[in-house]
Amino acid sequence: MHWTHLLLELILMPLMAFFIGMGMVLTLRKIGAKLQRRIGPPFFQPLYDILKLHAKETQSSHGLIHEIGIVMAIGGYVAAETLLPVPGMNGIAQQGGLITLAYMTMIPSLGLALGVGQCANPNGSIGISRALTAMLAYDVPFILVVFGTAYAAQSTNLVEIIAAQQSDGIASWGLVQNPLLALAGLLALQGMLGKQPFEIYVAPAEIATGPMVEMGGKFLGGLFIMQCFQLYTAGVLYTSLFLGGGENWLTFLVKIFAVVSIPMAIAYLFPRFRTEDLVRFFWKWPTFLALLGLAFVLH
Amino acid sequence: MGIRDIPVRQAPSPHKSTNPLGRVFDEFLRFCQSRSLFILHYCTGCGAIELPPAMTSRFDMERLGIQPMVSPRQADILLVTGYVSVKTLKRVILTYEQMPAPKYVIGICSCTVNGGMYWQSYATAKKLNDYLPVDLYIAGCMPRPEAVIAGMRDLRRNIERGTANAWRDYFLRYDHYLGNQQRLFGETWQTPVDVIAEAKHYNLLGKETQGEHTARLARHQKPLEALTLNLELREQPTLLK
Ligand code: SF4
Repeated sequence: MHWTHLLLELILMPLMAFFIGMGMVLTLRKIGAKLQRRIGPPFFQPLYDILKLHAKETQSSHGLIHEIGIVMAIGGYVAAETLLPVPGMNGIAQQGGLITLAYMTMIPSLGLALGVGQCANPNGSIGISRALTAMLAYDVPFILVVFGTAYAAQSTNLVEIIAAQQSDGIASWGLVQNPLLALAGLLALQGMLGKQPFEIYVAPAEIATGPMVEMGGKFLGGLFIMQCFQLYTAGVLYTSLFLGGGENWLTFLVKIFAVVSIPMAIAYLFPRFRTEDLVRFFWKWPTFLALLGLAFVLH
Repeated sequence: MGIRDIPVRQAPSPHKSTNPLGRVFDEFLRFCQSRSLFILHYCTGCGAIELPPAMTSRFDMERLGIQPMVSPRQADILLVTGYVSVKTLKRVILTYEQMPAPKYVIGICSCTVNGGMYWQSYATAKKLNDYLPVDLYIAGCMPRPEAVIAGMRDLRRNIERGTANAWRDYFLRYDHYLGNQQRLFGETWQTPVDVIAEAKHYNLLGKETQGEHTARLARHQKPLEALTLNLELREQPTLLK
């Protein structure tokens, strides 16, 4: 591939991810509103929010690490987007592979932890320690799921995994081949996106949105952008592993929007788990399912 | 005192851009600002009870881009919903000063306008705009959600026109506000935020920013100290002793 072509892809992929991610934020907020019988935000609301936050005149920074933390949080995802193949563009997915991608999706949480640490707000520290504990909890089934699908496809290359799934229609999808892994992945997804019942680290009424408590202006704006990327990454990753990736842009978009809509659609059914219950849950059910799925794959 | 005395004086915007494209950009940003308002509701009085219906399914504030937020750093609007006692007012001011500009204050309920039915109370601050620059009052005891939403729409229109500049007034006439605060809280009153330095930073140092009251503040000001975390682990009383 010519290097200008690659450069174009490396710029286009995160950019597209951002706009699709904003659409996802809107979708989730609309779903939440509809479930509560409200009208919900207008179409451009995510864009208004982000622009407004960056246009604030006061930007209270708590120091260099605070700023670097936010850059890491966004940067990790920007890097992850270039590793996620979309229809027509592979970026550096061939060279990167699943393992790199799994690493990249952990960087944002760590960056956020650094940034929040410097804010020295006790609510923030409580929030981020809960968030990292939650990460520890849902990453175990997540890694098992990633390992299982990679083993089943005999490759850690996402492009190949997708190609294998597209070879024989729906019957070759990961969802059909390894349903247990897909179910475990879905449960891990709920935790990864921080939807109920796993949203104790945000807990607005108790610890004042936890990690976000000291973030104002462009810092909060940065986190809003991060959220767009996070939704996109989760949706595309799940689609690539289990739903056969995207044959074309239409099916691709339908699939990724459907995937991120599931956690939101069932979120309001649950009350909140405490952190220790959350860890217990993730290390029990999704891990158990993933191990069982793995046993089927290895068999 | 007539009704005309109640609204605060609107300070003219000190930023004058001459670049026509810059003006288009400013207008666009003001449009975004008016369409995305995060509210911090400081539920001081009974008026707070009208906010849940304004936010939930019946009236749904989110369709106007208004969302509740929980920390002053994230918020644009400080909603003071009802009477403010002297003790509460201190917290309201602390909260207000931590919010990032541009910030707006809305006084909901008649009690914030003139003390309302607590006029004779020794512990209630009467006019909110003596202590903080109020953008908008929504009168009523208590105002219905329709009134709250109509007020929000007014604020939105003001922001879009660029006339919701009360926060600048706090910097430009800090001495006035501080004087009223000192009258209520005593002359040793101080907040962690250095408002004068901020005014300098934003180029909002007016003739009335500094005066006798800020001089008094400077005399009494104690430097801020970091709070130390004390974990005194007392011996647990055991039942088995
Ligand atoms: S105006 Fe009426 S409802 Fe509002 S705080 Fe005062 S007494 Fe309560």
